[in-house]
Amino acid sequence: MSTYGTAPGAGPAVYDPVTLPSDDNVDPYTFCVELKGNQWFLQKGKMIAYYGSVEFNGIGHGRLDRLVRTSFHSPLHASDWVVAEGSGKMLLADRAFDVNAYDLDEGNLTIRSGNLLAFQPSLSLKQSIVPGFLTLIGTGKFVAASNGPVVFMEPPVRVDPQALVGWADCPSPCHHYDHGYMTGVMGGLRALTGLGGTSGEEHQFEFVGAGTVLMQSSEELMPELDTGATPQQAGVPGAGMSGGHGQGPGTPRLPGQLGDLQRRFGL
Amino acid sequence: MFRLQSSKVLAVDMTGDAVKAKNGSMVAYDGEMAFKKLTGGGEGIRGMVTRRLTGEQMTLMEVKGHGTCFFADRASEINLITLQGDKLYVESSNLLATDGGLRTGTTFTGLRGASQGNGLFTTTVEGHGQVAVMSDGPAVVLRVSPQYPLSVDPGAYVAHRGNLRQSFQSGVTFRTLIGEGGGEAFQIRFEGDGLVYVQPSERNTIAGDV
Repeated sequence: MSTYGTAPGAGPAVYDPVTLPSDDNVDPYTFCVELKGNQWFLQKGKMIAYYGSVEFNGIGHGRLDRLVRTSFHSPLHASDWVVAEGSGKMLLADRAFDVNAYDLDEGNLTIRSGNLLAFQPSLSLKQSIVPGFLTLIGTGKFVAASNGPVVFMEPPVRVDPQALVGWADCPSPCHHYDHGYMTGVMGGLRALTGLGGTSGEEHQFEFVGAGTVLMQSSEELMPELDTGATPQQAGVPGAGMSGGHGQGPGTPRLPGQLGDLQRRFGL
Repeated sequence: MFRLQSSKVLAVDMTGDAVKAKNGSMVAYDGEMAFKKLTGGGEGIRGMVTRRLTGEQMTLMEVKGHGTCFFADRASEINLITLQGDKLYVESSNLLATDGGLRTGTTFTGLRGASQGNGLFTTTVEGHGQVAVMSDGPAVVLRVSPQYPLSVDPGAYVAHRGNLRQSFQSGVTFRTLIGEGGGEAFQIRFEGDGLVYVQPSERNTIAGDV
């Protein structure tokens, strides 16, 4: 056996495949997944180390066709995901952000696409109709990252767009704008020009109904993944942005003007 | 004597002895201290030339005095490592401070370094004493033994020690070339007997994109 680091007081704990936890956190920033011939969906580049023999295959791999058909329904995200399979223990981490595993039991949860690290194939991944978010449906475990520990809140609640991580079991949020920001001469002027001082908190997401809202204790966003464009089809939110309102994509936006949906979601 | 004031600040209690630290990493001190830039990291002319040639640049200062000196760098997490005659391999950019008595040098790492974007060479620290190594997020220490080899993402690798062989593992196939790669195309495989320090974050590497 190795003698390194076994002396008392020699510093942090030393892990080997036996002492690493199975499907649990190693520390607040690192999560260990145990593979015993099963498969996990994994976002690209979140694996930091592994013991044993683990194979990583892109979603497009022919052999995974059946698995993808049953549990992966987000063609726009396909290039960001891989399937890990084999046996061994695998460590996942993301930019030294807090990571946590959550269990879903016949439930649904919607999460910002950049925050989801990995999930079991017993869950199925779908694109939320809210751009930039993904919905997990079914039973199983998934691993998500947040900047700072996750705070759980009960609706009704209004949350800051940058601090929202996701929500479970409740209806999708709507936008909420502070009344004073939009009414009156001064309000209109402010909304139009951004002059006259804005607190930066005029816009929130509003949740109602029963469920849980997940917040991070910071307003730092994960760098968003390129989610591509949704199919250009009548009735699909965010499809191509060619819809009704007069403002084309070429029109310069005035400072302080309320942005379109995607920009408000940090896309 | 090295100790952690917090996970991001290193405190060194000194009684006339010296430590080598990254240039400019002192944040506060208590007592009498003298700071001297170590030209060439205190490795002499030969070490200086080697560092210049290998691109493994490292600017160190020598701190000497009585009292307590505090070091920190860009709020990185600090990990203390005690060396007992063995050799630590660490990237020069991750090295914060070492005991004055430890020898530092450079060594060839081969393709592993290239895949990290850190060049083909790495820094070694050898002797008896303590080393403070920085990482983005607290490092996880993983043991490698003959029956348990370890594969590490080049972007998450921080340091290693002991009698380890490292080889470069590539999963590049025709699928990588058509953009259907596994996302984890390059790994460093450690075999032998020793410890590997891994950070819960990935630097941007060439390997990160394929």
